[in-house]
Amino acid sequence: MARVLIVGYGNPLRGDDGLGWHAARRLSENMRREDVEILTCHQLTPELAERLSRVDRVIFIDAACTGAPGEVLQQAIQPDMSAAADFTHHFDIPALLACAQILFGACPQAVLCSVAAETFDLTESLSPAVEAAVPKLLELVHRLLD
Amino acid sequence: MAQQITINPVTRAEGHGKITIFLDDDGFVRDAQFHVTQIRGFEKFCEGRPFYEMPSLMARICGICPVSHLITSAKACDELMAVEIPETAQYLRRIMNLAQLVQSHALSFFHLASPDFLLGLDSDPAQRNIFGVMQSHPNIARDGILLRKFGQQIIELLGGKRIHPGWIVPGGVSEPLTVEKRDQILATIPEALATIQRTLDWFKRTFDNYPEEIRTFANFPSLFMGLVNEQGELVHYDGHLRFVDATGKIVADGIRAEDYQDYIGEAVEPWSYLKFPYYKPAGYPDGIYRVGPLARLNIINFCGTPLADAEWAEFRELGRGAVLSSFHYHYARLIEILNGIERIEHILNKPDILSKNVRAYAEPNRLEGVGIAEAPRGTLLHHYRINEDGIITYANLIIATGHNNMAMNRGVLQVAKHFVNGTKMQEGMLNRVEAVIRAYDPCLSCSTHAVGQMPLQIQLVSPDGAVLDELRR
Repeated sequence: MARVLIVGYGNPLRGDDGLGWHAARRLSENMRREDVEILTCHQLTPELAERLSRVDRVIFIDAACTGAPGEVLQQAIQPDMSAAADFTHHFDIPALLACAQILFGACPQAVLCSVAAETFDLTESLSPAVEAAVPKLLELVHRLLD
Repeated sequence: MAQQITINPVTRAEGHGKITIFLDDDGFVRDAQFHVTQIRGFEKFCEGRPFYEMPSLMARICGICPVSHLITSAKACDELMAVEIPETAQYLRRIMNLAQLVQSHALSFFHLASPDFLLGLDSDPAQRNIFGVMQSHPNIARDGILLRKFGQQIIELLGGKRIHPGWIVPGGVSEPLTVEKRDQILATIPEALATIQRTLDWFKRTFDNYPEEIRTFANFPSLFMGLVNEQGELVHYDGHLRFVDATGKIVADGIRAEDYQDYIGEAVEPWSYLKFPYYKPAGYPDGIYRVGPLARLNIINFCGTPLADAEWAEFRELGRGAVLSSFHYHYARLIEILNGIERIEHILNKPDILSKNVRAYAEPNRLEGVGIAEAPRGTLLHHYRINEDGIITYANLIIATGHNNMAMNRGVLQVAKHFVNGTKMQEGMLNRVEAVIRAYDPCLSCSTHAVGQMPLQIQLVSPDGAVLDELRR
């Protein structure tokens, strides 16, 4: 049973917003650990809460829309329902964590690993700045797994 | 001086919309319009594409009900190829269609509508959402998540992914079902059935709290339309079109998909991008009809599964002929979830369900094809024409929300006349105007091919066009 969940999310058709998918795919190619599960999705939906409640740690990978393009960031995230949006098709990370805690009785430790994006144009490729930052991002994720 | 109210954006619905309420000189509601404010234009930009691309192109219309577009488009392409698809492929398409119905209805009921029932239509709007429900009724919120997951998991298992699966193709499906996947789905049935049954139990007990809403939420005579099979059974994948009137009498039956234009006309109004389909024999605007869960349960002779049929018998007690209040779309939605789960189990236990023969291959053999199926929100119709090279030259889509357009407008007017008065709006009044729209679970992205998710605004407008009050969330 997975103890760590890696969630790469975003829109893979919108340039750097597909970072989570690119990173998840590369992590999957070299992942040898059986206690790590990797999944990708377009956005965070309430259904993920149940899955989150069954792991000890979760690492989210997403593009950031602020910061210098290519800048790699790491941020611990706490559950927080008050940050939830009025609309309910997708959650932000704090709301999703709170949902796991309230509805399923457990909430994993959560970290967001992100890379500041350069462009969200219609393309399936990452921008040069973000592409160049991917090895550093993967190194960070592996370090967190250790 | 007469006035106008605008609700913009309409919240907890799929897509972008706006409501304008026109007041007369005495401050009473004179008229109301539900506007769909954006356009996407899939009908036009698919022209020039090879016909076999249509299912995956059309699925992009919507992130909530892509399976409906996929299935209906594939059925139109089956017609272009003039093939009869293998029986197992039909079964598998049906399972995916029902799985989507379950997850979409669960989203509508639990995430969008239940805050009104559980927290109250006049409760604090900051709390009146799914997050408020999670805090006040965690068991119910959990049930909603589990039911949605049930449907999504089936779609993912069959199609490889939850959103925009490419598994349904012209001629059938691309891969047969494996025994492991069948057993995995079957294992989830008991919990899903128990969940929807306890949901029905608590929801029916709330009816007594909403007599005024049941009486005024788009509660008027109209026609109802949907698909039934030869026996008049509730079906979502195939069958023929049937119209019944407000008394429950069948006014047209056995209508084949390719004959839809003999019965359905499409009018346009300058204030909305959403077309106004109408029942042609009655003309526009008298030919108002409704589709979707309420309509489906009004047109059928029976559901065809034991638990849903027992529930349907209770549902029928709500009206002497057809059940007219759109408030009961919610109840009908829950009965359809029950029917969907029962039917998925039934189909999965068919002896040929694991057959490897799931796809027919052919070149185009006709220049015109119409596909029709029941999407969660109602009847979905795709009509294509191609040239000799199989290139799309014409596409016409009639989406569930479009069929309901006239009824939604009349419903907004009815509820506004009952709950809105004066030139100053109160939030609870406006929430009821929104709630009548929400009962239909409209998907405005589907219906106009608009981009994005739906906010909505309400405006109060005087006869001379001045905006007196505005509410925007």
